[in-house]
Amino acid sequence: MNKAAFYDLDGTLLSCNLVTTHAYYARNERSLLKSVYQITKVVLSVPLLFGLDLYSRSLFNVFAFRAYRGMHRDRLIGLADDLFEVTLKPSIFPGAEALIHRTRNLGYRNVLVTGTLDFTIRPIALHFGIEEVICNRLEFRNHVATGRVLPPLLAENEKANSIRQYAVQKGIELNDSCAFSDSSADVPMLNTVGYPVATNPTRRLRRIALQNHWPILELRETSSKFPPFLRPAKAL
Amino acid sequence: MKSLTTWRWNAVRGEYEEGDPPPLRGTGEISAIEAFSNGTTLLLGGTGFVGKVLLAMLLDRFPELKHLVVQVRRKKNLSGEERFYSEVLQSPPLRTIVERIGGQDVIRQKVRVVEGDLDQPLCGISLEELQQLKGKVDVVVNLAGVVDFDPPVSESIEPNVYGIQHVIELVKLLGAKLVHVSTAYVAGKKNGRISEDIPIDGYFPFRGEDGDQRRFTVARELNWYEEFIEETRQTRTTNPRPLRERLREGGMSQAEHWGWTNTYTYTKSMGEQLIAQTPGLMYAIVRPAIVESSLRFPFPGWNEGFTTSAPLVLMGGDGVKGWPVQYGPLEIIPVDLVAAGILIVTAAVLCGKNKRVYHLASADENPIMLPRLVAFLGMNSRYKHKHKKSGSRVANVWKAYVETQVITDKSLQSRRARLHRGLDVIHAVLTLGKTLFGPDKVGPYLKRLRDTRRQIRQQEVTLDKFLPFMFHNTFIFETRNIREATRMLTNEDLKRLKWEPETIDWADYWVNIHTKGIEKWIRPMFAASRKMGS
Repeated sequence: MNKAAFYDLDGTLLSCNLVTTHAYYARNERSLLKSVYQITKVVLSVPLLFGLDLYSRSLFNVFAFRAYRGMHRDRLIGLADDLFEVTLKPSIFPGAEALIHRTRNLGYRNVLVTGTLDFTIRPIALHFGIEEVICNRLEFRNHVATGRVLPPLLAENEKANSIRQYAVQKGIELNDSCAFSDSSADVPMLNTVGYPVATNPTRRLRRIALQNHWPILELRETSSKFPPFLRPAKAL
Repeated sequence: MKSLTTWRWNAVRGEYEEGDPPPLRGTGEISAIEAFSNGTTLLLGGTGFVGKVLLAMLLDRFPELKHLVVQVRRKKNLSGEERFYSEVLQSPPLRTIVERIGGQDVIRQKVRVVEGDLDQPLCGISLEELQQLKGKVDVVVNLAGVVDFDPPVSESIEPNVYGIQHVIELVKLLGAKLVHVSTAYVAGKKNGRISEDIPIDGYFPFRGEDGDQRRFTVARELNWYEEFIEETRQTRTTNPRPLRERLREGGMSQAEHWGWTNTYTYTKSMGEQLIAQTPGLMYAIVRPAIVESSLRFPFPGWNEGFTTSAPLVLMGGDGVKGWPVQYGPLEIIPVDLVAAGILIVTAAVLCGKNKRVYHLASADENPIMLPRLVAFLGMNSRYKHKHKKSGSRVANVWKAYVETQVITDKSLQSRRARLHRGLDVIHAVLTLGKTLFGPDKVGPYLKRLRDTRRQIRQQEVTLDKFLPFMFHNTFIFETRNIREATRMLTNEDLKRLKWEPETIDWADYWVNIHTKGIEKWIRPMFAASRKMGS
């Protein structure tokens, strides 16, 4: 029997988002002048992105990715390790690694299902030892980002669709699988599996989790207890 | 990490494409599976960087292989056979493959190790062994040779020219065919597209340029070599300059006289010419470009030795900022593609469907431009120095945040002059300080200055060696013949041997595979050799 553990990334395993990631690239442009210009753009876009995130995660993603327009793919890949060390690694939640370790030991195939971009994901996946990733990709023309994302844009319902497709391809039994997310935007994703876990949930997701009797997990605290299905069976 | 997507990167167009690549279909005129299962191959030089990957690929991809003979040179107290089992098979590219195919017992059933040395007539293989091999070897694959760019000329001519004479004698005696691995840079100081059809015998790079009507023959060059060696030895006591240095310069100036970039390419071309001159010899010459870390096989990033672009990557990692390069491609090719290419050519030779020359290079289909590589070197330096805990903080900040630049040769020379003037001033100040405050206080600073100077000089020498390939000349080696040979394989062969430089995602390769491979496999060796040198 094949089972998988599907993980959202931002807010679930680490406290980072598309804006902080883009802010890193803006800070690390080839020239100081370009950096100042890019950072100004990021700062000015924050209120709009904040509002959009409240309204629709998909729309938020579309606008956030537009900021990459004109950036060379070489630079996005070449700085990804530094981005990880500087921005992402310090923001990993204390309980994240233990959770991934636990699901792996219990025989789940760990899969990242995230709206984050592929080049950002690579060092994170290597760090966690996760071998399979479903994520977004920027569109490029002659190695330069157009600011658009390749379809399907991975967010909300599309995450659930991707999980279903993955399950069919790999022969995964979704009823035996689990999923972890922090956001109410990922409720469709959580609904696809037999064991959904609201992880560091937002207020809205916490409410939904309580209504549906989903376990709630806090990875921001080291002492958080894993839900019963992730606890090793006691010897009789 | 496996990214689950229907999109795949088109490296040539620089954009993603949807869907699976079209299935590979071959005409079946060449069957590598049949060739390797029925034919016997004798491998010369199987202990080197390319040789080990080729050996691993042959053993891993062709379980049908029945007979393979590997010639190994004795090393100190280890016989050829002992060295093969304790050293070659235990090396990183082979260790896991040997385990996967069933351990050393399986190897013993398929592989016969013969001791030998290319410096000796008939490659130093004993008469008894030769009697047993006679008429049984179908093809000899020669990967042996010295790949240093500018060694003392004797160290290059002996293996790369006289060694080839020994290989030819051996091949003729065995009644076999020959696949000889040379280098694409035998083209010498040329620019633009380099054809595979240029006649081999009598070639020299300046031929026909500006009405150059000289005649080049290997026999005459060997006469020059014998006289030069004799003269150098005779003047050993009267000439104060070290013998090695004079032999090194002799080789370089003779190479440049004919238009080659260095002693290595000059001697490799002579080796090729000896093969081409031999009547009745059935042969193919394989010319790889700069052979780099593996793309996938036996695992991504495998590298060995300093003869690839490793010194440049290490220098970039050390924070060198100014890079004199042209807006042209650097002709690099991962070692696993080279191994696959050589096996395809060997199969073609065994099936009697081969051409004379095969370039194994990438720029013809998927060029990686030098300015892109300069930017990658800068990003690696940024990453390394931003997170470096040791060394001067100011220097680390400088190396992390100042971007690499593409510069001209002239600008390189003026930068070097300024740097050396600055170091001279510091040296003068420290020497004065030593007089005023005593050696105890100033001595350590002087020592550090000496070390820095030595390191800078080493970097300058290394960079100069690479200038012909990055700045003075830009090459695109045509690869029509290997593509044609690949198309002639069977569909089953195509699943096992992949010649697909057009699919290399250079950004991912350079950043995540090649640079990391060099840092893992080469940096420790480089640091150890520097320590020994100092």
